[in-house]
This record gives sequence, structure tokens and C-alpha cells, in this order.
Amino acid sequence: MTNSSRRKRKEQLENVLYTLPAIILVTVMMYIPFLMSGYYSLTQWNGIAKDPQFIGLANFISIFSGKSNFLNSLGFTVRYTIGFVIFSNVLALALAVALVKKFKLANVYRGMFFIPYIMSMTIVGFIWKFIFTQGFAKLYELVGAEALNWSWLGDPKLAFYSVISVGVWQGLGFYIVLYIAGLQAIPKDVLEAATVDGATASQKFFRVTLPLLGPSMTTCIFMSLTNGLKVFDIILALTKGGPGTATYSTTMQIYQEAFTNNNYGLGSAQAIIYFLVVLIITQVVLKVMSRKEVDL
Amino acid sequence: MGMKKKQQSQKIILIAVLTLIAVVYIYPVFLMFMNSFKPFGEIVMDPIAWPKAPTFENITYVVKKIKYGKLFLNNVLITVIGIAGIVIFSSLAAYILDRRRTKYTAFVHTLIITPMLIPFQTIMITLLKAMNVIHLDNSRVGLGIQYWGFGIPMATFIFFNFMKTIPKEIDESAHIDGASTMRTFISVIFPLLKSVTVTVIVLDVMWIWNDFLLPLLMVNSSDKTKTLVLASYTFVGQMNTKWQFAMASMSLTVLPSIIIFIFLQKYIVEGVVAGAVKG
Repeated sequence: MTNSSRRKRKEQLENVLYTLPAIILVTVMMYIPFLMSGYYSLTQWNGIAKDPQFIGLANFISIFSGKSNFLNSLGFTVRYTIGFVIFSNVLALALAVALVKKFKLANVYRGMFFIPYIMSMTIVGFIWKFIFTQGFAKLYELVGAEALNWSWLGDPKLAFYSVISVGVWQGLGFYIVLYIAGLQAIPKDVLEAATVDGATASQKFFRVTLPLLGPSMTTCIFMSLTNGLKVFDIILALTKGGPGTATYSTTMQIYQEAFTNNNYGLGSAQAIIYFLVVLIITQVVLKVMSRKEVDL
Repeated sequence: MGMKKKQQSQKIILIAVLTLIAVVYIYPVFLMFMNSFKPFGEIVMDPIAWPKAPTFENITYVVKKIKYGKLFLNNVLITVIGIAGIVIFSSLAAYILDRRRTKYTAFVHTLIITPMLIPFQTIMITLLKAMNVIHLDNSRVGLGIQYWGFGIPMATFIFFNFMKTIPKEIDESAHIDGASTMRTFISVIFPLLKSVTVTVIVLDVMWIWNDFLLPLLMVNSSDKTKTLVLASYTFVGQMNTKWQFAMASMSLTVLPSIIIFIFLQKYIVEGVVAGAVKG
């Protein structure tokens, strides 16, 4: 055997050895459960009986005939995500514009907005459950504003906004730091040139800053989109999907179907549809946004 | 002169408004800490005021009841195991995937990073069964190992993108000096990955330390294997919540994160930004 072919063999062996742990781990934790979900979605199984019963597409048919709450939960998840993306990005951008200015303690302020982001979402949900139920009642006593006396977690419509608000509150710091990084990357001379040309502050923001923020905005919108579609912990802690099924997210629906109703087969079918919906939405948004960015 | 004065006063107004917003924004966190020092009656009567006579009773009760020290160590153990595996296996894979561009590595690259598209809830039902078969459930070490599988796709993606920016001449010269592939990785490449390793560590510590659903599914059945977040969950009931203990337990869970954040704010924020931009 020649020297170079021996070296090639050795390199090939190394290629396999160095990547093998990652391949095995990803296969065991993700691909195998994923394929199992695909199989169980075609079965009826309560998790206790030894053998799942093969029932073909019956689970999917029952989901699309609207017998379970799944389609409603999908509707909620989409509405939640739209609200979450809009409020997170608008508020984060507004605060980033203020926080990017140089002043004493600027870092402390940035840190204050970031702290909810380093906290567990479950704990964030509980804190706000406490505020909505106990805190608002006391504030109403003190201030008397009627809105404080509303049932923020008990009324289906209000609960929707409560869940979005808490979600935005928890994640806002993350989007703020991303927008600050984007704002800092804008060359100063471009803004100065606009000032020299007599542009007003709002003209500078909408005509110069905003277009140049394109990449940051793409990142933030995409991240908030995927985070919105995955919402779970906050809802479990805050409303458990209630009142009724008003704030049932799809993730929550899958969880309940499997672990509360013990319908593992139906839950798996919902999980597969959820995967496809998330995949399609994120890929479409990504395509649309990358096209937009080029236009700028 | 007048222009400057106007700008100055505008800035003062801006900072005043910002201060107000920031204080209201962080108040819920403050509220949690404050109520940890109140007896139950006072929390219900006056949830938003400063405690009349601060008491440590809730804290001491919770520390004993949930065995805080032990759960804290559980969190540390799970997080350290998780991070160590993710960093080692992802950086090793990314190193080879970038330096040896063959058909095999191109395929493996796709294989490893594609699971980023699979939401956790899609696999959680069957994961429970799969982990039961290989005995990684109901175990802290097992949970730490599970995080390897979930963390590797994203971490490999981040490491790979950074590897591309390291000039090939660096490891080629090490090779010529007779260093083996592993030697080159350990003493030449890995030190150069420092900044991106910090990014991966920051992102994954925040994720694993605070994670709720995976620990709920895997280690919630025994008090010995629970994590801090799971312990807080036990005090909040559907109907009657023991808010005094819930607040104390939540404060004790959040406090370490906040202390670490105060000291490492710069690195944490930089890591998060880098992770989002690269990821």
C-alpha cells in the first residue's frame, strides 16, 4: 500500500471517529423518537397496553374532522405568535433606540430589561399569575382604575392578551440587545450625512436607520417567530390553557392529549402535524424575508 | 449654544422616562423577592408593599422542605454534564466537518444540524419511551446526557461557522511539525475556539438551568432527582397556592442566575447576541 492511500484510510477513519459521538447522540435523542412518533401517529395506544393498535390514518382523520381541540389550539398558537412577534419587535426596537444612547448607567438599564430573560419561564408565569390575581386586586383598592378589576386570567379575551404580555415581558430583553447590536453597527457618518442634508430625527430613523437594520430585524423576527410557535411553559404556569380552552397552545394540546388523556397515538399524530406546520411557516417566512433583505 | 442646551434637556427627559419604564419593568422580579419575606396573611392582604416585619421563616422552611442544597447540586450536576458533552462532541465534529470536506462529512453535517428543525414537543411523547428503554430516565446523569443530543445540532452549527474563519494554514503547520489530528485539535484549534465556546456555554447554561418540560418528564418522580424549577412548581396549586413558600422557592431558584448575570453581564449579553446572529 502506498503512503498516501494509507494516510487517506487513516483520515477516513478519523472522520468517522470524530463525528460518531454526535451522530449517535442526535440519532438516539432526536431521529429515533421522531420516527417513533411517526409510527405511533398511526396507532391507538394508551401507553399502558403492551401493543399499540395500528389504525392507519384514523388519528389524522379525527383531528381534521375537528373532534379534538387541536385545530383550535393551532389557531390560538398562530394568533399568539403574530401578537408576540409584533409587540416584541416594536417595543424592543423602541427601547433599543433609547438604550443605545450613551449615558451613565446605560449598562445597568440594559441589564434590568435583560433579567426576565435569564429567568425560568415557569417562574415568570407564576410571578405574573400572582400579580394578575393578587397584585391587581390590591392596586384596584389603591388606585381604583376599572381595568385593574377585570379578570385578566378568567376572561377568554383578556387571558389571550395577558399571556402575550407576559411572553413579551419575558423575552423583550433578548430582542433589545439584538437591536442594540444592530444599531451600533450602523456607520455614524451615514447618519451625520443625513443630518447635514437637513433630515429630521424621524426622517433619519425611517429612511436611514430602519433600512440599515435589515439583518437585525430578520434575526429578531425569525427568532420571535420560532419562540412564539413553541410557547408552552408560560401558559402552563399562567392559565393551564384556560379559561376553558381559550389559551390552549398546540404544544399544550399535545402535552395534555398524551400525558393527561393518555391518548399517545392521537398525541403523536398532533405532534407530527405540529412539526409540519412549524416547518412550513418558518421556511416560508425565512424565504420571504431573505428576498426582502436583498431588495434593500 | 441653544441647540446644545435643548439636546441636553431632551436627554434628561429621555433618561427620566427610561428610568420610569425600567423600574416598572423590573418591579415584578422585585415583588417576588419582597414577598419571600412576608407571612402568608400579609402577602394576601398587601401583596405590593414593603414587608412590615421581614421574616426569614419562608426561606428557612423552603430550604429545608425542598432540600435546597441538594437540588442546587442536582442543577449544577445536570448542567455541567450537559455542557461538557455538548461542547466536546460538537467542537470535535465541527473541526472534522470543516477541515475534511468529503462526501461523507457533507452528509454528516446535514445529519447533525437538521434536527434543529424538530420542535421538542414533536418528540417528547416517544422520547419518554425511548429513554426508558436505554435507562436514561429518572436519573440526573441520564438527563445531563439527554441534553447532549438536544444541544449538539445548534452547537455544531455555531462551531462549524466559526471554524470556517480559522485559517487552514494554522493546523497545516502543526501537522507538518508532526502533531496528530487530536493533538492539533487540543493544543491549536480548541484554544482558538474560545470566544465561540463562551457563546455556546452561555446559551446552553441558560437553557438547561431553567429548563422545565424535559426535567418534568424525566426526573420529577423522585425528590432525589428533582431540579430547582420543578421544586418551585410544587408550591403552586390550581386552587390554593402557598404563595409565601412559592415566592421564597422561586427567589432561591432565580437568585443564583441574577448574581451570575450581574457579574458576567458583558459576556452573557455578547454570547447571546453572537449565538442569535450565528444561529
